[in-house]
Amino acid sequence: MAGSGRDERAWVRRAQAGSVSDFEALFRAHWGPAYRAAYLVVRDASAAEDIAQEAFLAAVRSLDRFDRRRPFGPWLHRIVVNRAIDWARARTLRPEAEAVDAAAPERPEHDEELLRELDGLSPEHRAVIVLRYLLEYTPGEIAELLELPRGTVNSRLRRGLDRLKERLE
Amino acid sequence: MKRFGAPSEQESGERAWEVVRAAYESREPIAWPRRHARPLVAGALVAAAVAAVLSPPGRSVVRSLRKAVGVENARTELFSLPARGRLLVSAPGGAWIVNADGSRRRLGAYRDAAFSPHGLFIAATKANELVALDPKGNMRWTLPRRSPRFPAWTGSRTDTRIAYLARGRLHVVGGDGNGDRLVDRASAVAPVWRPGPGYVIAYARGATTLVRDVVTGAVLLREGSDIPPRKLEWSSDGKLLLSFKPYATRVYDARGKVVAQDDPSDATFDRDAAFVPGTHRVLAVRAAGGGSDVFAFLDGRTVFKGTGVFRQLVFSPNGRWLLVTWPTANQWVFVRLGGARHIVGASRISAQFGGYPRVASWCCGR
Repeated sequence: MAGSGRDERAWVRRAQAGSVSDFEALFRAHWGPAYRAAYLVVRDASAAEDIAQEAFLAAVRSLDRFDRRRPFGPWLHRIVVNRAIDWARARTLRPEAEAVDAAAPERPEHDEELLRELDGLSPEHRAVIVLRYLLEYTPGEIAELLELPRGTVNSRLRRGLDRLKERLE
Repeated sequence: MKRFGAPSEQESGERAWEVVRAAYESREPIAWPRRHARPLVAGALVAAAVAAVLSPPGRSVVRSLRKAVGVENARTELFSLPARGRLLVSAPGGAWIVNADGSRRRLGAYRDAAFSPHGLFIAATKANELVALDPKGNMRWTLPRRSPRFPAWTGSRTDTRIAYLARGRLHVVGGDGNGDRLVDRASAVAPVWRPGPGYVIAYARGATTLVRDVVTGAVLLREGSDIPPRKLEWSSDGKLLLSFKPYATRVYDARGKVVAQDDPSDATFDRDAAFVPGTHRVLAVRAAGGGSDVFAFLDGRTVFKGTGVFRQLVFSPNGRWLLVTWPTANQWVFVRLGGARHIVGASRISAQFGGYPRVASWCCGR
């Protein structure tokens, strides 16, 4: 999991100064949540890896200008989720023949049904559910992250959960 | 969901770390003095300029600072442009042309203005008119329309089209003012013609960016989003489309693939972004705290930095000079790109145009 706020600020500060080990600590702390969030929205392991990796590359490019008073995670997650939504939408418009996920058997069984049903939601609904229940942002924070009105976030959460419930029943 | 483990998380992390580490190690961490020296001096310039207004002796400080950073000829008036071409600007009091020698001509009380492809004419808008003018401000034709905005002119010397928005609709009219037709619904974002042959235009409809061939009506690209872009811009070769948003700028290729992007951190946002002419490089203005900086998308390198708000980036036609508009300093700053660093400033911009202007384009002349 991500380090404490103090750890994180120190990692960012030292990474800005050129410390590879501190940048690696930042990467290790945030790779898992970023990759999982991307995966849950796009449901394609290769795409999720590309999206999370691209978010970290964006972090490298912006490192010198990053405001250390702000937490790193929300900024990274905003990039990841927005890119994942873009990717999922593009795939909807240009469907591929078959999305084969070679690593799928490793998926934990207890989440199987829920994850399958998550596929039935739109990328936008998936994104808010991932942000709320995987990354544990509050609806207000999600609204800020995705630049959406708070009411839109609440309604997407409500509709997304209702649809999941219907499907699971 | 908290217990969820995505497939191959560990392996993917190792693969990604190799790539990300290589990018981190290849970045050029700029030593503090160098990273901050020029920006600080640029910021100091503004502070010094304020001091100069408040106390006449401060003027010597301004001069010495300008000399120290190579800001030559930091004039109180705009005497000439550092590169060929002419600027078309829209100010609260109307549209103006600024010639290369610095001479200015007010075209009239127009809201928006755009050059024709070779800079021979200007399309401009009033409250209820789209008009075509020559560079002296003589009217060639008018087209009565309610609330026309954002004219954009394209074509060859023999056949041109003007796109504009009116009451939430994208229209296209011939360069002679004939053949006006409705193309689609559109949001209040300036439409942009794709450079090159044909009549292909990018525009926003709601939060969706569309690229459409206005001759055949075919939609060539459709990119959805949660919020509409603030600005659209094509690269000079028409291969890439920049969709600028303060918190999420994207560059798309012809198939809609994102080839570059910028997602500012929480405390910051972008104010403008633009392609360097003749290249696929993008420079952007980032606002952070009380300052702004101009940086390159590709490597994050800072090109210019200062205190206050930078509003716009406008490139000279040859791509060698960048105009940074700096309303809080009431200045225009011309920065030479590549080669020896060279900066030319012009102050008291509002006084010269009757209010701080927006630059529509820097046109025609390489």
